[in-house]
Amino acid sequence: MRLGRLIGGALLLGSASLSAQATGTIRGHVVSNDVNHAALAGVTVSAGSHRTVTLSDGSYLLLGVPAGADSVRARIIGYGPQSKAYSLQGNDTAQVDFALEPQAVTLAEVVAIGYGTARAGDVTGSQKQVGTADFNPGAVVSPQNLMEDKVSGVQVVDNNQPGGGLSIRIRGTASINASSEPLYVVDGVPLGTGSGGGVSAGNDPLNFLNPNDIESITILKDAASAAIYGSNASNGVVLITTKSGQGQAHVTYGGSYMSSSVTRVPSMLNASQFAAAVAQYAPAAVPQLGTSNTNWFDLIDRTGTGQSHNLALAGSGATSNYRLSLGYLNQDGIIQGSSTQQIQLGVNYNQRLYNDRLSLHTTLQGARSYDTFAPGGVLSNAAQMGPTQPEFDGTSATGYYNWPGNSLTSADNPVEILNNALDHGTTYRSVGNVEAKYDFSNWNALRGLTATARVGYDVTYADRVSFYANNIHQQTKNGTDGSYFEGQSQQANTLLETFLDYQPPVSVGPGNFDFTGGYSYSQSHSRYPTTSATQLSTNALGDAGIPQAGTILTSVDLEDSKLISFFGRAGYNINDRYLVSASIRRDGSSRFGPGNQWGNFPAASVGWRISQEPFMQSIGAISDLKLRGSWGKTGNQSFGNYLFDPTFTACNATAEAQLGNQFVCPFRPSAVDPNLKWESTTTWDFGADYALFGSRFSGSIDWYNKKTDGLLFTIPIDPASNLSNFLLTNIGSMKNTGFDFDITARLLDAAPNGGLSWNTSFNVSHNVNTLTSINPNVPGTGSQIPTGGIAGGVGSTVQILEPGQPINSFYVCRQVYQNGKPEEGHYLTLAGADTTGCAIGANTVAEHDPAPHWIFGFTSNMTFHRFDFSFTLRAWLGNYVYNNVASNVGDYRELTDGSSPYNLSTSVLATGFKTQQLLSDYYVENGSFLRMDNIMVGYTFPFQAQRLRVYALIQNAFTITGYSGVDPTAGLNGIDNNIYPRSRTFTGGLDVQF
Amino acid sequence: MSKAWKVLGMAAAMVLIGGACTDPTVQPKSIVSNANFFADPSSYKEFLAKIYVGLAVGGQSGGDGNTDIQYIDGGFSQYMRLYWELEELPTDEAVIAWGDQTLPEINTQGWNSSNRFTSAMYYRVFFQVGMANEFLRETTDAALASRGVSPTLKATIQTYRAEARFLRALSYWHGLDFFGNIPLVTENDPLASEPKQATRAQIYNYVVSELTAIRTQLPVSTPAPDAAIYGRATQGAADMLLAELYLNAGVYTGTPDYADALTSASNVISSGLYQINPVFQNNFTADNNNSPELIFSVPEDGQHTQTYGSTNFIIHASCGNSLGNGTLAVDGCWYGIRLKPSAYALFQAGDGRGAVAFTSGQTIAVGAINNFGNGVLYPKYTNKTSGGGTGSNISFADTDFPMFRLAEAYLIYAEASLRGGGGTRAQALTYVNALRARAFGDTLHQIPDSTFTTQTILDERGRELMWEGHRRTDLVRYGLFTGGTYLWAWKGANAYGTDSTAVATPSSRDLYPIPANVLIANPNLKQNPGY
Repeated sequence: MRLGRLIGGALLLGSASLSAQATGTIRGHVVSNDVNHAALAGVTVSAGSHRTVTLSDGSYLLLGVPAGADSVRARIIGYGPQSKAYSLQGNDTAQVDFALEPQAVTLAEVVAIGYGTARAGDVTGSQKQVGTADFNPGAVVSPQNLMEDKVSGVQVVDNNQPGGGLSIRIRGTASINASSEPLYVVDGVPLGTGSGGGVSAGNDPLNFLNPNDIESITILKDAASAAIYGSNASNGVVLITTKSGQGQAHVTYGGSYMSSSVTRVPSMLNASQFAAAVAQYAPAAVPQLGTSNTNWFDLIDRTGTGQSHNLALAGSGATSNYRLSLGYLNQDGIIQGSSTQQIQLGVNYNQRLYNDRLSLHTTLQGARSYDTFAPGGVLSNAAQMGPTQPEFDGTSATGYYNWPGNSLTSADNPVEILNNALDHGTTYRSVGNVEAKYDFSNWNALRGLTATARVGYDVTYADRVSFYANNIHQQTKNGTDGSYFEGQSQQANTLLETFLDYQPPVSVGPGNFDFTGGYSYSQSHSRYPTTSATQLSTNALGDAGIPQAGTILTSVDLEDSKLISFFGRAGYNINDRYLVSASIRRDGSSRFGPGNQWGNFPAASVGWRISQEPFMQSIGAISDLKLRGSWGKTGNQSFGNYLFDPTFTACNATAEAQLGNQFVCPFRPSAVDPNLKWESTTTWDFGADYALFGSRFSGSIDWYNKKTDGLLFTIPIDPASNLSNFLLTNIGSMKNTGFDFDITARLLDAAPNGGLSWNTSFNVSHNVNTLTSINPNVPGTGSQIPTGGIAGGVGSTVQILEPGQPINSFYVCRQVYQNGKPEEGHYLTLAGADTTGCAIGANTVAEHDPAPHWIFGFTSNMTFHRFDFSFTLRAWLGNYVYNNVASNVGDYRELTDGSSPYNLSTSVLATGFKTQQLLSDYYVENGSFLRMDNIMVGYTFPFQAQRLRVYALIQNAFTITGYSGVDPTAGLNGIDNNIYPRSRTFTGGLDVQF
Repeated sequence: MSKAWKVLGMAAAMVLIGGACTDPTVQPKSIVSNANFFADPSSYKEFLAKIYVGLAVGGQSGGDGNTDIQYIDGGFSQYMRLYWELEELPTDEAVIAWGDQTLPEINTQGWNSSNRFTSAMYYRVFFQVGMANEFLRETTDAALASRGVSPTLKATIQTYRAEARFLRALSYWHGLDFFGNIPLVTENDPLASEPKQATRAQIYNYVVSELTAIRTQLPVSTPAPDAAIYGRATQGAADMLLAELYLNAGVYTGTPDYADALTSASNVISSGLYQINPVFQNNFTADNNNSPELIFSVPEDGQHTQTYGSTNFIIHASCGNSLGNGTLAVDGCWYGIRLKPSAYALFQAGDGRGAVAFTSGQTIAVGAINNFGNGVLYPKYTNKTSGGGTGSNISFADTDFPMFRLAEAYLIYAEASLRGGGGTRAQALTYVNALRARAFGDTLHQIPDSTFTTQTILDERGRELMWEGHRRTDLVRYGLFTGGTYLWAWKGANAYGTDSTAVATPSSRDLYPIPANVLIANPNLKQNPGY
């Protein structure tokens, strides 16, 4: 448990009046009266009107207590209050110690909140903290994976590559043209002035953070808990707290080895099926066919191995604690050419000075990530290359076989690309933070006041390089003849925050106040230089340089942004029973024009610990019950810089104006909405935190309604009113409604001699998204915007933004079936009649959306003597996926469409389609699934009085789904087009402490 | 206690120092914006160039990429291409074969307010107006003074301002001619306001007053071709535009003004800067910039100014079938536009202007709009040079769009005079016959005074200015564009049908509709009657 800033209430009974009489001191110690007698920090201890809270070692000191006999009370949520009598002489010191009885342990837990910490029992917003004990085990590259399946209301979507990009949606998607990713705050440092995790060379930007250095991850879900982050909070906030040192100096080591394999690749015709199809439907191509039997996927995938090592040194002294960590992880992807490697350093140092009045807290994370990627085109060509064709051809420039004719309209040999192209990225990133906190409690007049100043930085240098040799088919067929690209992202963000906390030492009215108020200044400076070259004269230098090239283009982009904020929060607590909290943040952002720079983001919440009421005391089953309600307004400013600022677009050299005998490059001013501002979300949340049957069952339930207004859309305008006939402006609105439910059950407690213990937790999330309006001036579906681009035809789309429907609903035609088989070209009209052809706008219907309507997470942890066994299950219901591999090459026409036949999806055997039916809902499949995300078995040895644990686990053990494609979690938009396959990973490892 | 206050003071100071930074403004650095663009003295010319090139290319990249307007392809919606289509296709002069959504209806006056092409024209007109307004806002005396612009540059910018006002007037003319009552927005209206609709007469008066005010401030031309100012607006261009406006004043305001039309045309003729090109065809070649007859043109260039609109569209679209692409020195034929039979019928044998027509393998009658073999081809524009060479790029023609040329000044003089605008009938006849002398290469085909009427002039305009983007305006002025007085094949017929029988069209078709999208966006606007 960290020493933390405590917001919370105390109970001040009685009305002992202050008088100028002799005073004395009461000191003492508060521990938990359970088996381990742990010191309890943050216990409110009061004597008369005097009040203080215990430090991390459980000690407390009450100064200036009037002499005489009275009682001293100790109270903390989650423990039964205690009262002890004392008798005090003037200038004397009395010792009063407490051992509190635990009641509902979870409610006493100190949890992170925006700009501070609080006891779980005092929190009136909807948030959930996940600690190390609950994290997902195994080789985790990106920190977000630690809490996958563990928190209701949170959807985690993985791109399946090792360390690849993760997308998080907290209570649904709340934006279309701005980001929908939450704001990440690491040890108080918000990453970037917009939401999202920062910049990288292609993989997840949070990979700089070693998952083994993380103490807890807290999800702020409703506006009341997130609104203190103002214009960056609409998508929710993820607070990450890193580990600090505790106890005697000790070293921990964790090491593991992994092995990953492919679960599923697209189902394509094999050599004999392909040859038969070509013979029947493309006889002219038969002479091109070879006699090989090549499984192209087998040639590009592999069993990926990896290892991870983590070493940490930690400890604490009387006034300081420290933790140093070093992490290394190397994992190969299951597609050749893809891998990730992380080297991470972490420092966490705390020093308390001046009798603990000044506390300095320093954290620093630094990492180097080196990622390689499978070159573009490897996966799609593995699907589309003819299985009858050989891998090698001794007569070709590269030694690899390709279809004859160097044609644009045939697949490329994926192995040739794989072995003659490179794509890799290096990211250096460091995030650090120095925090000074001063407690003024020593001075009577300032008792209860602390001041905090924080200086933080976030520096990233990322470099992505790709190289494609000039003699491979993919490059020669279109005259690109070799290409080189280098793109850098250089970003430096700085942060200054100062804030004051004040807990008046005396009660005001029947309860106690606490206040937080502060100022925050953050700025970001980025530079994005790029170099690209095509028509490389030689492959000699590979990705190391450009000796000579037909065209070399370079560009550079500088981006600056600033966010300046004032924030404040006030809480009022009556008897730990009635809780009220209100916060406001005033944000000034560089992303908005003059007059719109400043916005206010208020929130308010109430809590009622109904279990504290006398009438509830008789209900023994209820250990604790708190009803909560909150309202708040948050913003989303995570879109481009300078969008309000009129800019000038330069011409290119073939769009010049002839003025006399000179050609002049014209510059065009852009049409902008100078009043552009943040998208704004108003959230209502009603919920309850509960603990039942002696806290054997505990959890929370919430209903919410999020309404987002001012969504950014490009809409038609009167061209006489501006410099164009279209304008990006705040106009649309959207709604997300649903509920979250979490329950944790202590099903079996371990017997003292180590029998079976069993804990489980289960969560359910339900969300319904509705795009309420795009352009209120346009009636009905007139303002539809097509989305969801797919492979197959230029500009083809299969999704729609349509008022009244979930965003990105599939927008295709209803297939007509005959004897269970889709009847080619026959679709239903809107009235349900059979017609030929599917025309967008005529018989396309917006139905089914890619987002799951229900998400379930289930975790089970068992221990038996020295064994432990755990698993995590996940299920999604109601998400739909468009199988683009099947639709794009799922018809016999693809055999004759190009100069050489493309291999076909095996779906063609079921449909018999002769031409592409891209808009058939046959390809929109229900993607509901149940997945065993991990299963782990461990055994702990006694090792020189320290522990040594060995374990084995399987990640992604199995998936049960009716979906026919590669992975039913195929990206946020549910379009499965040659996505990276999901891997199954076996890990064996050990953890030791000495 | 004092220590406490010191610490508290420090903490307060810390908060306050932080609090002192309360300005979140950030200036863009690597983006060209108002803040840095005008630091470069050449920026004014580059901005002005955008207003000019807005007529020549549909966007900021060659081939109409990075388009200026949305919801329609940049080349499809290129300014002069739309202008040409809307002036020619619904008349007795031209028909286009393609079935692109809402294009066929233009051939038959069957458009509605959602028509993509009429809408795009409206967008293009106001895009030009918006560019000119913004240029004028950024070049006020105060704005120039605040940037410390040198006196020399300032004098140059005054000329640029006059050119911007000319280009704005030109587009406003197109706007009032096509759409009637439209908003009148000037540099004095702030951006993002909700414009009010002005009457056609108000726009007319504004445009006339603007042109009158700036005609002497425009760049001074030496006798054409003046390479140094080629492509830019001169006093001759302003006078031609005034002549067009005055000639149609009766349509625009209800009160004709033929006297001023005649004066303006006379100003052009008597300036002595322009000569009738002895070779009619050389006004439409890849090197037509050398023609002494051109008063104002929209320059295109195969290397520097590439578009799929303007003359490049006309040339590509006018060939196909037996008329091969090589004849016009382009890379391919688009099989698009032909003459309607009524247009072909205007030409007598021996008329050089009609001799261009290509009949081999084509029918004269247009049985089906979408059959390129129906209708005589008319390769008036070409990417070949006057010497028979090939333009600089067979994909993108060098040929400039001849917006105003001296021959039309002759015809305006003649018509204005005949309609009572002054001058002499003899002079009017002399001008018309001068054009006929060039066309026939002899004086045997002169119009006698006895048959010299306004109808003669309309027919002569048809022959002389065929496919130059004047026909719809002319027919409206003569009261023949709609109604049943003058019927030609496909007028009012079903564009998708096979029956070319003409029917009378309602007079509301004299105006194009204001786009439905614009009416939704700006409730101040009222649709034209009949839509």
